[in-house]
Amino acid sequence: MLEAQDLRKSFGALTVTNRVSLEVARGERRVVLGPNGAGKTTLFNLLVGELPADSGQIKIAGEDVTALSMDARARRGMARSYQKNNLFSGLTVRENLSLSAACAQGKAKTVAMDSLRDAGVAETVREMASLVGLTELLETSADSISYGARRRLEVGLALASRPRVLLMDEPTSGIGPGGIHAFHALLRGLPAELTIVIVEHDMDLAFDIADRVTVMNFGEVVFDGPPQAARESALVKDIYLGTWAEQP
Amino acid sequence: MFYQTPLKTAAILLLLTAALVYSLVAGFFGLEVLTEVAILVIVAIALDLVAGYGGMISLCHGALFGVGAYAFASATVLLGWDASIGLALAILTACLFAWVIGAITARTHGIFFIMATLAFGQMGYAYVFESRTFGGDDGLPGVPRLDLSGLGIDLNDSFNFALLCVALATVAYLLAAALLRSGFGRTLVGIRSNELRMRALGLPVWRHKAAAFAISGALAGLAGALAAQHTMFVSPGLLHWTLSGELLIMVILGGLGTLVGAVVGAGLLVFLKHEVARFTEHWHLVVGLVLIAVVLGGGRGLYGQAEHLWERRQAARKAATAAKETPEHA
Repeated sequence: MLEAQDLRKSFGALTVTNRVSLEVARGERRVVLGPNGAGKTTLFNLLVGELPADSGQIKIAGEDVTALSMDARARRGMARSYQKNNLFSGLTVRENLSLSAACAQGKAKTVAMDSLRDAGVAETVREMASLVGLTELLETSADSISYGARRRLEVGLALASRPRVLLMDEPTSGIGPGGIHAFHALLRGLPAELTIVIVEHDMDLAFDIADRVTVMNFGEVVFDGPPQAARESALVKDIYLGTWAEQP
Repeated sequence: MFYQTPLKTAAILLLLTAALVYSLVAGFFGLEVLTEVAILVIVAIALDLVAGYGGMISLCHGALFGVGAYAFASATVLLGWDASIGLALAILTACLFAWVIGAITARTHGIFFIMATLAFGQMGYAYVFESRTFGGDDGLPGVPRLDLSGLGIDLNDSFNFALLCVALATVAYLLAAALLRSGFGRTLVGIRSNELRMRALGLPVWRHKAAAFAISGALAGLAGALAAQHTMFVSPGLLHWTLSGELLIMVILGGLGTLVGAVVGAGLLVFLKHEVARFTEHWHLVVGLVLIAVVLGGGRGLYGQAEHLWERRQAARKAATAAKETPEHA
């Protein structure tokens, strides 16, 4: 469903992603691990088209989208949630979700009707609000809800666009253990055919949901395999825990 | 997001009633002022559409207004075409100019967008100022008014022309309100709030911004054509950036992003201009002081502040009702 081949991105002399390849099957849950600065978010930015790759190729369902803009890739079914909340400030939760649903349902450009009152959009909003646990907050401004609720809305915005491929960048960052448990449940409730690539630092969540794990370090993929193998990999442990140098 | 709230409806009905009553009691000068206000209301609404709801603070709306005025004058004076064709041409020309400006500047933001629109506006001004075809700095005199004699209406009568302008200003408000309540308008507000996210959701943002700018330009063109008919004369001053600045002041005075504020601001600025000018030629100083007071007072503008207070009161009432309905804990 999602293929990346030899992706490379540099900022001046600094190479942030180097020959990164990824192949994610339809319905697969892929977890991308790596320490801070490993190039995970840059990889997401390259995949969705927020940043142009210096070289390499990206395909969605076999179609080469490397040259396509960010919005064109989104129209082909690619959605993302951000590491830092990137919501529609000043608008209510309902309006936030409506904008996403209207875009996905081709009702964002019409002058003939109100997308907020459209039955299809309203249905998606209800469904997504229920899925991410925001039904009670639909009429509340996105600026006034708690941080945890905003994280859920962040994911809800991506889901309301009914994507085929969903990229989630640290969806549980900054939320407490209760929120992480709720997020486990949310992920388990998502459609099986949805392809998910997720950057996550919470190891329990990562290994719980992953069909396959990709580990990045210094901009390169250093491990790609099933979760159990990642758990047992000395290299992965070394990257995450570091190696204690023996004192002379 | 735009909602046609009861407060907005009441304010618009009140302003419309005031305009109609004033037209009945006003003399020639009063009708001229009313016409001026109605024309400025149309172009202020056009500006609020893109600046207040689309986040595109434009400094070329004076030029779009001028393009409409010159297109009308060119069609009627230079080409001798019927005024109704001139009116359609004015709207289409300003719409096309606005689309081109919108398409080119859509990828710029903040100060760069403002400067780019200013540059486009001043290019238009400089061209018209130096063009012999358009009369250079002398402008084009002898612009006729629409001929509605078939309907028994003589638009050379100030009362009739003022009423036509008020009616068209009302239509402009209704069109803008309908647009902002549509999927197109909702998306425009989404772009203002978070352009990157709209792109991430699959919207070709530049096209949407250019389309919004074109619609706004069409309204500005309509206002320009009416201005040309009002004074029966066009001059390069209509395209000057200072008019764009005055339009922004109107929208900010009334309340940016409220639509009704554009109407209030246009009326207020013209009122201040004429009333203060009776006592001093430095009326700009007074307008400046009022603008500073509005900005320091929260920046919501006169109508915007009233709407803010009304919404707060509504929210407090709702909270009080909810508290009453919630059973007390034992």
